[in-house]
Amino acid sequence: MKTLFRMKITMPLILLIALPIVVQAQDAHLQLSSLDHLAGKANQTVDVNVDERLMKAAAKLLSDKDADERGVKQLVEGLKGIYVKSFEFDNAGEYTTADLETIRTQVRGPGWTRLVNVTSKKEGNVEVYLLFNAEQVGGLAVLYTEEKELTVVNIVGPVDLDKLAKLEGQLGVPDLEIEKTKKNNEK
Amino acid sequence: MKDDYLWDKTGQPEPEIQKLEEILGTLRYQPKPLELPVSRRRNYLPLLAIAASLLLALVAGAVWLRSRNQSVPQRHEAQVVPPAPKIDEPEPETIRDKSKTAIAVVKPRHKSVSSAFSKREREEALVAKEQLMLALRLTTEKLSLIHRKTLNTTPASPIKNQHRVG
Repeated sequence: MKTLFRMKITMPLILLIALPIVVQAQDAHLQLSSLDHLAGKANQTVDVNVDERLMKAAAKLLSDKDADERGVKQLVEGLKGIYVKSFEFDNAGEYTTADLETIRTQVRGPGWTRLVNVTSKKEGNVEVYLLFNAEQVGGLAVLYTEEKELTVVNIVGPVDLDKLAKLEGQLGVPDLEIEKTKKNNEK
Repeated sequence: MKDDYLWDKTGQPEPEIQKLEEILGTLRYQPKPLELPVSRRRNYLPLLAIAASLLLALVAGAVWLRSRNQSVPQRHEAQVVPPAPKIDEPEPETIRDKSKTAIAVVKPRHKSVSSAFSKREREEALVAKEQLMLALRLTTEKLSLIHRKTLNTTPASPIKNQHRVG
């Protein structure tokens, strides 16, 4: 009788405690704080944390007249956050595979799909992961690793990849003519 | 004879005894089915425990959400990146460098929008905007590598590896 009573009490408690963890696991927001210790070793660190509230505030300052800003505004509409951690080191081997695994284990979770994996000795490796909620994109993660650099980008929310591609050539990135290539292929 | 009534209820009872019998007769044992005390008294302990655990979980969730919301916006750190050629606006960026101290340059713009913001909100929005642009710049930069690589690996002519039939 006592055992049954204990089960009745402990089971709901376990479920209630586990619920936020499960909810968080399905969220596209990755926990990047495990990389924070690398800031001490890095020569330069980028740490961007723009949550939904800040995103909305920033979107208000984006002009509709400027084509670049209009593009960014359209892209960030509906997004719930953008988080970046980037570390540049003086020497190679400052970060370990265990550091990368803390990110990879999260993007191996349910809903996540590895879209692209590019490996280059000269230019580094890029892994792109997408989180699908039903048929919609719910988030994006980019993991860039190079001997002296580690960058993780995490976009939370419905990312429009076409709009993101259109930003190439803007924001200081050389135009890779994705759209033009498409048009030429159509011809 | 009168004592026999008290012994085995035979004979004539005394009026005093008869009166006592009538008065106490209401308290006489009356046979009825047994009622267990458990069915009458309900145990509320499990319900109370469930309610308490729900409350505890709600409080824990609220504390967690609050701490999460408070901790995230306080971090506004970014490095200096090469200036964007198409953006005229000066960028308020902070440098976190081993040898350098933090620098922040914020210049207000968009006067029509700024009137709707308080000074603090506007500064926060400007920093957020710069962080947003920096994040997108980094993202597109890394994604461009993929495009570059996929362009390099794609064969120049799609019919290169095809064999003539016939």
